[in-house]
Amino acid sequence: MSALTGLRPSGPAPYRPSGLTWTVLRLHRTALYVGGAVLLTVAATLVWMHAAGPATREFVGGCDAREPFALDCAPFRETTTYKVHAYALALASGCVTYLMYAVAAWAGAALTGRELESGTARLAWTQSVTPARWLATRLAVPAVLLTAGTTLAFLLGSWTRRAGGRGLSGGWYNTNVFVSSGPVAVAYALAGLALGALAGLVLRRALPAAAAALAAAYVLHEVLAGFRMSLWPAVTATGQAAFQVPYGSLVLEHGAVTGGGERLATNWSCVGTDGAALERCLERSEMADFWTTYQPESHFWPLQLVESGLLLALAGLATAAAFALLRRRHP
Amino acid sequence: MSSTSTTRSAVAVEARGLTVRHGRRSAPALDDCSFRLPAGRVSALVGPNGAGKSTLLATAAGLLRPSAGTLTVLGGEPAEARERIAYLAQDKPLHPQLTIAETLRLGAELNPARWDAPHAAAIVEQGSLDPGTKVRKLSGGQRTRVALALALGKRPDLMLLDEPMADLDPLARHELLGTLMADAAERGTTVLMSSHIVTELADACDHLLLLGGGRVRLGGGLDDLLLAHTVVTGRGTPADLAPHLVVESRPAGRGLTALIRDDGPVDERWQAERPSVEELVLAHLRSPDVPALLTPGTTPAPEAVAR
Repeated sequence: MSALTGLRPSGPAPYRPSGLTWTVLRLHRTALYVGGAVLLTVAATLVWMHAAGPATREFVGGCDAREPFALDCAPFRETTTYKVHAYALALASGCVTYLMYAVAAWAGAALTGRELESGTARLAWTQSVTPARWLATRLAVPAVLLTAGTTLAFLLGSWTRRAGGRGLSGGWYNTNVFVSSGPVAVAYALAGLALGALAGLVLRRALPAAAAALAAAYVLHEVLAGFRMSLWPAVTATGQAAFQVPYGSLVLEHGAVTGGGERLATNWSCVGTDGAALERCLERSEMADFWTTYQPESHFWPLQLVESGLLLALAGLATAAAFALLRRRHP
Repeated sequence: MSSTSTTRSAVAVEARGLTVRHGRRSAPALDDCSFRLPAGRVSALVGPNGAGKSTLLATAAGLLRPSAGTLTVLGGEPAEARERIAYLAQDKPLHPQLTIAETLRLGAELNPARWDAPHAAAIVEQGSLDPGTKVRKLSGGQRTRVALALALGKRPDLMLLDEPMADLDPLARHELLGTLMADAAERGTTVLMSSHIVTELADACDHLLLLGGGRVRLGGGLDDLLLAHTVVTGRGTPADLAPHLVVESRPAGRGLTALIRDDGPVDERWQAERPSVEELVLAHLRSPDVPALLTPGTTPAPEAVAR
């Protein structure tokens, strides 16, 4: 009975996890399988949509071009081809975006909270393993797997979106698109892991820890969704340029300056006109100037990096707090 | 007489002024405890519920930080001796989703330097347990057996067992106590196990540490402690028993029965007999103001800490 006597083959290859790594992988096998299944689903969906992208775009025709909201595009949006594409992409991006919630709840409940609640953490600490090593492995193994999985998911996501074009994929600035097609996806997963693990260590019970981790993930998600576009300086255009922001930009603010110099925000005079019509509108209007503040698509990467940096800093702080708490409680 | 050699190397556990609180403002679970336990012995840690037994064992296992004082285990800090200590918690925590075989694999993976797989497997097989059974399907006693296999498979130098026998049937209790005794005899393993049932441990242990209200009340070789006390019956008052220390007395017929700590021979007016372990323990627990007694091998410092 080699399973019982725990005989392990010697020799370097093939790699078999051992020690604490084996423990973490075995204890959280279910989570590993579920995570793998989600990753497979997301990857398969994205590859499929990448393959279907050109055909769908041809079918939708000019609707993904300059005027994505033109009236004659409406019938296309009701077609099955378009809907399948949109829903499949929404499914993939949703899975990646909301992964943080699942990771946070799992880390709080299963990774640390339940172990402290049931005493199995003490079981590990009275083997030849210090609490600090125990926590380090418990964080490192899922962190490596999450990093690999989310990296693959966001690379596939941006690859598929490039193939499908904007009319099919939605704006880069939509929360789910933004989170699921850049490195910020990795940072969200890691922040969820660290916050969940900390919640489990603080509360020492599975259910309250899962609830607290979910609440923390929700607050983080919402706060960053609200302030996302403020994390990198926006571009402000005035005069004629205010009416012709680059394609793909997210307009944050548009306003007019009256003849008396007063700035009126959200004043939409002359918006939607172009060329000669715009000239006439400007002449007719009593406004002296117009301005638009926007995030051009070229800010996608700086915004991604700043948000990732914030999330990773938060994850680092939560991890440090978790280790400090463990060290304070146990010798 | 189980007079023990008291050289430093023969000391497994030594506490000096050990105080452990579970919260900053709560009453201490262990209050200024000082004692030492000789190595290679099977010691019983006895006391009522809430006496601090579990706290002492968890502190010795390196799981809790003393609030004051020191606890030395196997010559160092408990946390540094982690590899050489086995600890069985009172509720026998195991991972329910693992099988017995996987639980033992866990022991092997987490104790790479010390794991004795055949020994652990033998303890499981002794209980006719199928290694493929999930831990969540085991009964309380079967779980205890697996938890003990995990503890013994580590081949520890010090075993800290918190209520190890509570949910075992008499046969399994006998078997497992036998395994523990054999381990202690062959390998010189020091065993400290707690119980609130005194008789459960009386046959198996040769050393006693009695806790009451977070303090050490008695400590020493079982025989030494029994020899130091006498149950006397006769006519008279507790004052008549001077200079002996009366631990506890109660009226019996027209006289009284008392458990005394002898100071010289007992007057022949009294009918004297040796107390049982249970009588000794109960008398001390019912009289919390009686000074503690630690036999010389059990006092921590060269100068006796008598209170």
